[in-house]
Parts: sequence; C-alpha cells; structure tokens
Amino acid sequence: MSRPPRLAEWLLARSAHPDDRAAMLGDLAEEYAERGPDARRWYWGQALRSIAPNLAARFAPSRHLDRADDPGAATTMQTLGTDLRYAVRTLRRNLAFAALTAATLALGIGAATIVYSVVDGVVLDPFPYPEPGRLVGVGPEYPRLGRELSFWEVISPAEYLDIRAQSRTLERVVAWDMGNRQIAGESDAPERVFSAFWYGDAFPTLGVAPALGRGFSAQEVERGERVAVISHRLWLRRFGGDPGMVGRAVSVNGDPYTVVGVMPPRTLVYGTDLWLPMWATPEQVPRDARQFQVLGRLRAGATLAQANAELATIARRVEQAHGAEFKEYAGWRLVGRTWTDINVSMLRPAALVLLGAVGFVLLLVCVNVASLLLARSAGRRREVAVRAALGASRGRVVRQLLTESVVLALLGGALGAALALWGTTALAAFLQTLPLPIPGDVRLNPRVLAVAAGITVAAGILFGLAPALEVTRPDVQGALKSDGGGSIGSARRHRMQRVFVGVEVALALVLLAGGGLLVRSFLRLQRVDAGFDARGVLTMRLTLPREKYAPAAIAPFFQQLAERVGAVPGVRAVAFGSQFAPMTFQRAQLEIEGRDAAREGQLPVAFLTQTSDGYFRALGVPLRRGRVPYERDGDQAQPVAVINEEAARRLFPGQDPIGRRLRASKTGRWFEVVGVVGTTRNAGLDRPPQPEVFSSVRQALGQNNQLFLLVRADPAAGDPRRLLPLVRREVRALDPDQPVYAVQTVEEAFATAAGPRRAATLTLTLFGLFALALAAVGIYGVVSYAVSERTREIGVRIALGARAGQVRRLMVRQAMLPVALGAAAGAAGAVALGRAMGGILFEVRGSDPLTLGSAVALLGAVALAASYLPARRASRLDPVAALRA
Amino acid sequence: MTDRFYLGEFEQVVLLAVARLAGDGYGMTVRREIERRTGRAVSIGAVYATLDRLERKGLVSSREGESTPERGGRARRHFVLERAGAQALRRTQRMLEQMWADVELGAPRKAGTS
Repeated sequence: MSRPPRLAEWLLARSAHPDDRAAMLGDLAEEYAERGPDARRWYWGQALRSIAPNLAARFAPSRHLDRADDPGAATTMQTLGTDLRYAVRTLRRNLAFAALTAATLALGIGAATIVYSVVDGVVLDPFPYPEPGRLVGVGPEYPRLGRELSFWEVISPAEYLDIRAQSRTLERVVAWDMGNRQIAGESDAPERVFSAFWYGDAFPTLGVAPALGRGFSAQEVERGERVAVISHRLWLRRFGGDPGMVGRAVSVNGDPYTVVGVMPPRTLVYGTDLWLPMWATPEQVPRDARQFQVLGRLRAGATLAQANAELATIARRVEQAHGAEFKEYAGWRLVGRTWTDINVSMLRPAALVLLGAVGFVLLLVCVNVASLLLARSAGRRREVAVRAALGASRGRVVRQLLTESVVLALLGGALGAALALWGTTALAAFLQTLPLPIPGDVRLNPRVLAVAAGITVAAGILFGLAPALEVTRPDVQGALKSDGGGSIGSARRHRMQRVFVGVEVALALVLLAGGGLLVRSFLRLQRVDAGFDARGVLTMRLTLPREKYAPAAIAPFFQQLAERVGAVPGVRAVAFGSQFAPMTFQRAQLEIEGRDAAREGQLPVAFLTQTSDGYFRALGVPLRRGRVPYERDGDQAQPVAVINEEAARRLFPGQDPIGRRLRASKTGRWFEVVGVVGTTRNAGLDRPPQPEVFSSVRQALGQNNQLFLLVRADPAAGDPRRLLPLVRREVRALDPDQPVYAVQTVEEAFATAAGPRRAATLTLTLFGLFALALAAVGIYGVVSYAVSERTREIGVRIALGARAGQVRRLMVRQAMLPVALGAAAGAAGAVALGRAMGGILFEVRGSDPLTLGSAVALLGAVALAASYLPARRASRLDPVAALRA
Repeated sequence: MTDRFYLGEFEQVVLLAVARLAGDGYGMTVRREIERRTGRAVSIGAVYATLDRLERKGLVSSREGESTPERGGRARRHFVLERAGAQALRRTQRMLEQMWADVELGAPRKAGTS
C-alpha cells in the first residue's frame, strides 16, 4: 500500500490546528487507502484546498474567546479573526490570482536569498578566520618577464626573509608551500593527504588558536624537526578524535613524526590536512628559486595601502642590492592583497553580476506584485464602496484590505523561505564537491532572507493598501455609480499599470541580454579547439615519497607503471608528465643561448613540462617539425627539448628554433631544441595559449617526484573512468603503499576550469527567463484589465462596424507602447550591463548587437503573445452583451 | 447565547451530515456524505473548520475514537449532534420555510441594464 504524498501531508499538518491535525490526517489517510488510481491527485486536491480553511480556523480568535453577543463590542482580536477568514475566502475565490502572486513573491525571495547566501559564503566572506580583511597575501610583479601579479609559488626564502625583516605594517609574516604527503598511524596503511609546509607558526598569522596543542616553534622550523599539525577532520576521521592526540607518533612518507597540534574545525588552508615545518635554508637556496606563498597579518591600525607602500620600498632595496645579478628585479613590485581578494578574484566578476541580476529580479517581483494587486483592485472598488456606504469606517475597510495583503505576503514569504532553505542546502552540498580554493561554507543567510522577504512583503502590503486608500476616499457615491470604466481613479490606475509594464520590460530585457551574452560566451568556449584530442583521457597524480625513492628511481618507476598499464585491456595509450593542458602550474624564466637578457625588453617565460616518451602521441598533440625525445636521450646524453609553436613564435621570431639551446636557470644545463609541436590551450580554453617547453622525464634527473599518469582509453571501451580500478591495481602491484589521487579526465579538467562561468551562465539565463515570464504576466494583466474596462467601448466599435482584426490591433497597439518604451530603456541598461560584464565574457563584446537583438525579439514576441490573447477575447465580444454589461 | 440566531449554509450542511450519520460521523464520513448528497467537492479542511466552530457553539460534541493501521495510527474524532444543534437546525428550517411561503419567483430576470 502506498503512502499519501509526503509534501501534501506536511502542508496539511503545518496548516491545521493542532487539535484537528491527527484526526484530519487520519481521515485522509483512511480515504486515500480506499481510493483507486486517482488517489494521489485527490489527496493533493484535498491538501491544497484545505490550507486556506485550516489557516482561517487556526487563527480564528473565537477558538479561545467566548463569542460576543453584541457585534458592537467586537474586540480587536475578533475583528482580526473575521478579517482573516474573510481574506482567506476572498483569496480562495480568486485562486489563480493568489497563487500567481504568492509564487512570484516566493521565487523572488527564494532567488535573492539563495544567490546572496552563496555569494556571501563563497566570495564576500569565505574564510573562517577572524578579521579576514587583515590577512594579506604578498606577491611580485615582474615587468621584465611580462609576468602579471601572481601570489602562487612566487617568493624565494631569501625574499621572504627580506619582507619579514623589513616590514613594520605586517605584524606576522609566514611563508609556505603545498604538496602531498602520505600519512599513517602506528599500524595502518598510508593515505595521501594534501599538506602545507610552513616557514614559521601559521596559527598567529591566521589568527586562530589550535584546537589541541600548538603550532611550530622557531627552533622546530630552523632545525627541520619532525613535528606535525593535523586538521580537525583528519583527527576525527583517521584518529577517532583521540583526546591524547598531541604527542602521538605518526608516520609521514615513512618517517616518524610527532603530532604537536590539531587545527580547529574548518580552519583548512586550501584543504590541507597536514602541516609540517618547512626547513628551507635561505643561504643554500638560490634567490630565484621561488616556490613559496607569503601570508601576513596587518598590524592593528595599519592599512593595506601603508603595507603596499612599505612593500614597494622593500622591493626597491632588493632591486638595488641584487638587480645586477637578477635581471628580473628591474622595476619589479611587491604587492599585498587581502587573502579573500586573491582567492575569489576569478569568481568575483561573475558573483557581482549575479548579485546585480538578483537585485533586478527582486525589483521585478515587487513591480509585478504591485501590478497584480493594482489590477485586482479594480474589481474591489464597488465592494468596498458598498461596505463604506453601509457604515464601515475607513479604518475598518483599510484594515480588512490590509489583512488580505498581509495574508498573501505571508503565504509568499513562507513559500519563499522554504525555497531558499531548500536551494541553499542543495547548493551547499553541491559546492562541497567542487575543487574550490575556499571552504565553500554556504549556509542560509537569515539576514538576507529577512531583507528579501521584508522588501517584497512590504511591496505587497504597500500596493495592497494603495487601492484601499484610493477606494476609501470619501467619494462613495461616485464609486457606487461607477461601472468601473471612465472614473478618474481607474485612469490613474491604468497609467500606473502601464508604467509598471514598461519597468518590467526594461528589467527583463537587461536580464535576458546579460544571460544571452553569457550563453554566447559559453557556446564560443565550447567550440574552442583544445589543440589536441581531449576526449577519453583519464589522468591521475602520483607523488613518490623522496624518503623511499631516490631521484634515479623515479623515472624507472613511472616507466614500469606505464608499461603495465599499457597492457591493460581497453587502454590505447599511456604516458606520464609533470603537467598537461589545462592543468599547468610550473613555469619558469628562460635563458636563450647567445642572447643577452640584459638588452631585451622582455625576458622569455614558458611553461616547463617534463614528459615521457609517447606523451604527444597519447594526447594527440601533432609534431610540426623535428623530432620528439626518444630512448637515446638518456640521463647522460645531451639534454633535448621540444617547444610548442607559440614558444617558437615568441622566443625565436623569424628564426629556426631547431638546434638552438635554452635553459631554465643560470646554473642549469643547456637544452637543445630538437622539435616543434602544435600549441594546445595549456592555460584553459578561455585564456590565450602560452609558450611551453617540454623535456624528457629521463633527463630531469629526478627533480620532479610528482607526475601525472595519462591513460587514453580505447574509444570502444566507453567511459575512461571505468579503467580506474584496473590502473589502481597495477599501481598497487608495484608499490602497495602508493596512493593515487587527483583522478579526473582531461575533459573534466577543462570543465572544472570553466565551472564558475557555467554556473553564472545558467543562473543568469534562468533569471532572464523568470523575468520574461513575469513581464508576460504583467502585460497580460494590463491588457486583460483594459479589455474588461473598455468592454462597452469595444462593443460600440464592433456595433459600428469595426472588424475583429481592427479591434485586436487597437488593443495590441496600445499595449505595445509601454513595451516599446520599456525595451528602449532596457536596451540602454543592457549595454551598460554588458560593459560591466566584460571581464567574464569570452570573445563576445558587451554590446554585441546580435545578442541584444535576439533578446529584444524574444521579449517582443512574448509581449505580443501576452497581449494578443486578451485582445482576441475583446475582438470576439458579442456587441449586444457588451453594451448591456 | 441567544435563541435568535440562524445557521449559515455550510453550517447547516455539515450539521445535517452529522445528523444523517447518526453516531457514525467523523471527518471522512461527514466529508463524503456532503460530497455524495450535494455533488459539491468539499475539502477536509473546510469540514473541520466548520465542525470546530459548531462545537464551540455547543451544537455538536466530539470524542476520540479508534485508530487503525490505514490511518497511520491516528485516532478518529467522532461527532454527534447536540440538543442545541438540533434546535438550531429546526429554527433555521422554520425561518426559511416562513420566508419561502407564498413566494412566486416567476421567470428569472435578465442580466442588468444599469
């Protein structure tokens, strides 16, 4: 036996008086069980139609008060009860109106709350640290390298010490790096965890205290002692929340470590679960070995501008001291930005556009609700006039109408709150699955809900009241005599409605055009050629612990693994490399043999990628000239390099690159260019391709212990992810303790890079369509109202020989005037929005005429349809009936 | 409570349904009885809202009844007509009869020409 629909049951239970609840639900359940196939529909009908009487009965005050015999002695509570019941009855009589209004309110409140909650949790205030505005990241900008400001793997230990020693406005500064480690308890299998390595104690800089224990002491950092801090979630998951965790021994990459602290909940830096002290010795590391991030906390009273002025001075001093040796220091700058800015800068433009859009939607909802209420007030004029004539005081009538508005507004508000709660929860769960740099802690923001609900409910009440006040002006006689047409009040109302339609159309056009621009950008992006065959390639990363694998053992391990995986059925090709498009993060400044860097305006920079043999073949990157590295290019042979066409174009303009030599550091070996391959979209589909230099893993001398395994599946084998267990088995066969992580297909990697763009596109498009629907409702309402008000006039026209087509044209033409005015205003707004969106558009101009034209055409078509329906009704009027009406 | 009050239309319908069911009246049977006899779709919420009001006026009384598995273990609430309820029905009926006596409606007037 099936259960009654849960949601319907819930609605009933919420609305019913507590005394009736059980009996009522029981009755319906009993009858539901006896009914046939239509039981569900019947149950929903019962539930929906019962809400209004339930609420009326529930809030009827006489449940608790004795009924007063003398109606003149009605108490306020009793009046309220009467008003409520009357309001519910009135709304029920016009269910379509009530449902439309409540749904509009609900969608407006829900959308505003969801969007704001997400933007707040992801962009505005994403970090759980105290005073996040004082947490500052420091990064360099090198005009000589043509390298923009960056904050990732950009500072060397020597530079960090310069900053720490000379800065006064940053009271705490810490340098750090990230990587992967394998952690295990006393006797269990190791697990790969994302780790951060700290040059100092991270806690005071972040401004949080450890949940247990402490951070790293200066001595532990200097001596590189084997101590560790673990995350709260790792502590709970892996160590069962052991209260005696501090002092416990763990193994990290096979070495014994002592846990000295546990982070507080939610304090994750980029999802790192393990913190270790970094034992960098600046005197041994070259000044240009830049692999660290720098994080600082502003001193109380100091501003970011002061910190930046100070950082500029520090950069000048470094340039004077070391500029002769390190050319890139010429004109370099050190810049501080808030940590929040740094991490959400790529999301911010999309987020701000969405915030703006949702503000528009909210405005639109208010206008629409006002318009609906206004249209309705036409029908109420006489009713109210009758009541006034029968002796109802103005206050009493206003209160009655106000009650109605409030009931409607509360209904919409409650539905909106439910929608917001549901949407935020669903989105929060979804965000947790995305690889975002931030905790992604999204929760319903009650303040926003209150504000959104307050605005819309206030709009509902205000406009519910406006006709009430108009209607209850002392002109009772006029209203009684009026048949609705021709009175002054109605003219004003009609004018107001047309203004509303104009505003709605303008807002809808802005949203539609904005959504259209994003859709066009997105379609363009879909068509971008990645430069290689990105389909059907499974990738995963392995980090071989240095404690276990000597540098010389790294390439052979991967070679062996590639051979084993290559033999797995369903695998067409296998390769490995330090990065692949678009997962590129290692780039370096190059030196080209025979060229004096000091005389060049811009120093050459390229992605540096180590590859296995067969890397280009497996990915489908075409070889344009020369050859790729092969087996004879061993670790003792002359190092060779392959460059992409972009590098050939930029580094060797008008020259033959084959045979030229380049190197990535002043002391490193020279690599001879032996081949040129096609350019891939190595920085993501929406970024211009970058120069890239490939060398053989064999000749990297084991410098890189973290490599990606790239597995191309046989197209006939279907989803490449199905190969994962087989690949894992081969890894385990070689080293049972070796974890595999960062599993994704190349296509997924591209999609992830486009994730924020896709979310913005989808949301704004939905908003645009919602706005379009609201505008259509508004136009339909206005024309219907005009038709009903001018019934007699239309009757006369038809009686005098006007044809149906003429009547239709008349009604439609009049409706289109405000639409046209609104569209003109909206077009101006759309162009302004497009300009503001420039940053998130791709190969589409903000003022793209095609997009704007399509939006106008769509809106125009919908507006025509919305006005045509009631206009057709007008043209079919029976003149005799119309004249009598 | 004065003697001089009359029942509303839906109140009469509900009271009559309770009277017809003679002791077997609870939410579901009352609702069905009305639907069957009037051919009008009636929501359970409206039935309870009216029954509650009638009970407050002392025209019906209710007691908790049995619960069954198909009700999800929820008890029935049985309603019976009180003396005051029967009197109110009679009074309303008499009032209506007096109003109807000798009424000639003739053909319905055509819609207005205001």
